[in-house]
Amino acid sequence: MATPTTTSRTRLDIYESGDAALRVVARSGDAEANWTTVHSLAGWLATAGIDGLRGAVPTYDSVLVEFDPYLTSARQVRAFVLLAMRQLDFVGTTLREPRRFEVPVVYGADYGPDLERVAEHQGLDVEDVIARHTAKTYVIRCLGAPAGSPMMDGPDFPVPVPRLKDPRLSVPSGAVSVAGRQAVIAPAVAPGGWCVIGQTPLTVLDAAREPLVPYVPGDELRFYRIPADRFGSFAGQFLEAQP
Amino acid sequence: MTGSLIILQPGHSVVTDLGRTRGPAYGLPVNGALDQYSAKAANILAGNDDNDPLLELTALDFRMRATTDVLIAVTGAPLDLTVGGRECPQWEPVSVRAGEVVAVRGIRTGLRAYIAVHGSFTVPSLLGSCAPDTVVGFGLKLAEGFPLETQKTTAPITQPHFGLPLFRLDLTKPAFTTNPVIDVTDGPDVAEFGETADLLFTTQYTVSPRSNHIGLRLGGALPERQLTSEVLSRGVPVGAIEVPSREELLVLHRGRGVTAGYPVLAVVTSRSLDLLAQARPGHTVSFRKTTVAEATATHRTACLELDRLRNTINTVFGLLGIGAGQRWYELSPASGA
Repeated sequence: MATPTTTSRTRLDIYESGDAALRVVARSGDAEANWTTVHSLAGWLATAGIDGLRGAVPTYDSVLVEFDPYLTSARQVRAFVLLAMRQLDFVGTTLREPRRFEVPVVYGADYGPDLERVAEHQGLDVEDVIARHTAKTYVIRCLGAPAGSPMMDGPDFPVPVPRLKDPRLSVPSGAVSVAGRQAVIAPAVAPGGWCVIGQTPLTVLDAAREPLVPYVPGDELRFYRIPADRFGSFAGQFLEAQP
Repeated sequence: MTGSLIILQPGHSVVTDLGRTRGPAYGLPVNGALDQYSAKAANILAGNDDNDPLLELTALDFRMRATTDVLIAVTGAPLDLTVGGRECPQWEPVSVRAGEVVAVRGIRTGLRAYIAVHGSFTVPSLLGSCAPDTVVGFGLKLAEGFPLETQKTTAPITQPHFGLPLFRLDLTKPAFTTNPVIDVTDGPDVAEFGETADLLFTTQYTVSPRSNHIGLRLGGALPERQLTSEVLSRGVPVGAIEVPSREELLVLHRGRGVTAGYPVLAVVTSRSLDLLAQARPGHTVSFRKTTVAEATATHRTACLELDRLRNTINTVFGLLGIGAGQRWYELSPASGA
C-alpha cells in the first residue's frame, strides 16, 4: 500500500512493490525537479554500499529500488531512502556534467517506414518533421527497454504521436523512433510499437564493453540528417561521446 | 584437473546462474535461473557457491557425457535421472564416472530442472553473470557435441552395500503441483483497478502457451484499470502483475524489460516466483494475498533451509575430502558494496 512520506523539501511517495523492491515517486509538481531528484537518489543509493541493495532504476519521476530480502528488508531500505533524501536536501541534487552525442540518421523510406504517417498525423510535411526532430538537443532521461535504450523527451511536435496499432515483431537496431511525447534509439533488435522515422548506422550497444551503452541519464544527444548513400560509410562505428 | 561434458542432446538447456543483478541499472533484465530455490539447492548439493554457473533444462529431455569423473546434483521438477543407465536420485549428489552418460527424461508436474556440477563450468560472463540475455544476444548456445568445460574432477563416491542411498541429507524438497497457489502483495497501483482488483483472488487462471522467461500469460477473469491516463515509464519489479490487454494477465518473470508503462496490480513474492517458474502451459494458477512482512519471512525461512543444507554438505564433503565451497567471508563483497 502507498505510504506517503514527506521529507523536508521534496515530497516523496514510497510504495511497497513486492518483498524485493520499493517504488519511490517524487511528487514536487515540477517534472524537471522530480527527474533530478530520482536520478540523484539512485546515484546516492548506488554508491552507499548498502548490504543487500541490488540496484536502483530511475526513470522520470520514480525510481525502483531492488534489494535482497534475505539480507535486508523493505523497512530498512525505506529508511535508507529517507536518509538519502535528507542528505540530498542538505548537499543539493547535482548530477554529473553532461556529455554530448551526435547521431547521424537516414530518415524515411525503408529506414523510417512510419515517417510519412507521423507527418500526416502531425499535419506537417515530412521535411518539417525531420527539421523538428534534428532541431532539438535531447536530454537522455533514463535507460529503458530493450537493452538500455536512451529515453528522451520527444521533438517539438504539435500533438503526441500515437503508438502503432499492431506493434512490429522486430525493429532493427539503430531504429530512431517517436511515440507519445518521447523519442528513442533502439540499441538492439526487439519488438516495438513506436513509430520508426529513421535509422542510425552507428552501433549503440557494445556487449564487449561495460556498461554496454556509452551514455548515462543526463547526457545530451542531437540527431543530424545524412543521405541514404552515406549509411554504409558509418559501418562498424560506435556511438561515442563528443570530445 | 579440468574436464568436459559433451552435450549429446541439448533439449532446451542453457548455462545460467542466479542472474545479472547489476543489469537493471543499465536497462538489462536480471534473467538467471527462474526457479532460484532449485538452482541454489543444486549448486549447494554439488558443493558449489550458490551463484556458480549451472544448467537449466526447460521441459525437454537432455543427455550429456562426462569425459572425466564428476560429481553432479539434479534438482527442480520431478524427472527420471539415469547415470550410465543406472537410475539415480534427484536432490542428492551423484557421482558420474568418465565416459558415462547423464540422461534426464520426462520432466513432469513442473517445467524446469537444474544440473550443477562440482567445480562448475568455465563460461563467458557479461556484467558479472553468465545468464543468457536474448535481447542483447548474450549466452552460451548448447548444441549437440558442444564441450562444456568443467573446472574440477571428482573421484567417484560409492556406497559398497547394496546400493543404499549414499547421503541422508534430510532436505525438504519443495512440493510440485499442477495448480499452484501463488502469494502476492498489493502492487503500488492496485487502487487504479478499484473493486475489480479482487477478481485476482477469486479466479482460477490458466497458463497460456505464450508464456516464457519474460513473463507468464494467464487466461481468466481480468481486473480492469478504472483510469485511462497515460503512465510514465517506470521500473517494474520481477513478479509484477499487469493487465496489458483484454485477453490475458501478464506476470513478469526474470527476463522482463526493466521499465514499462503499465500499472502494477500486484507483485508475486520471491518464493512464489519459484513456483511460477515451474508452471506449465495448461496448469491452473490461483492467487492469495499476503503482506510484505510475511513474504519476507517465508523467503528467509527458505534461505535458512538452504543454509542448513550448505552446512550439512560442507561437513559431509569435508569428511569425504571433496573441496567444499567458499565461506561467506572468502567471497567477494556483497552486491551493492
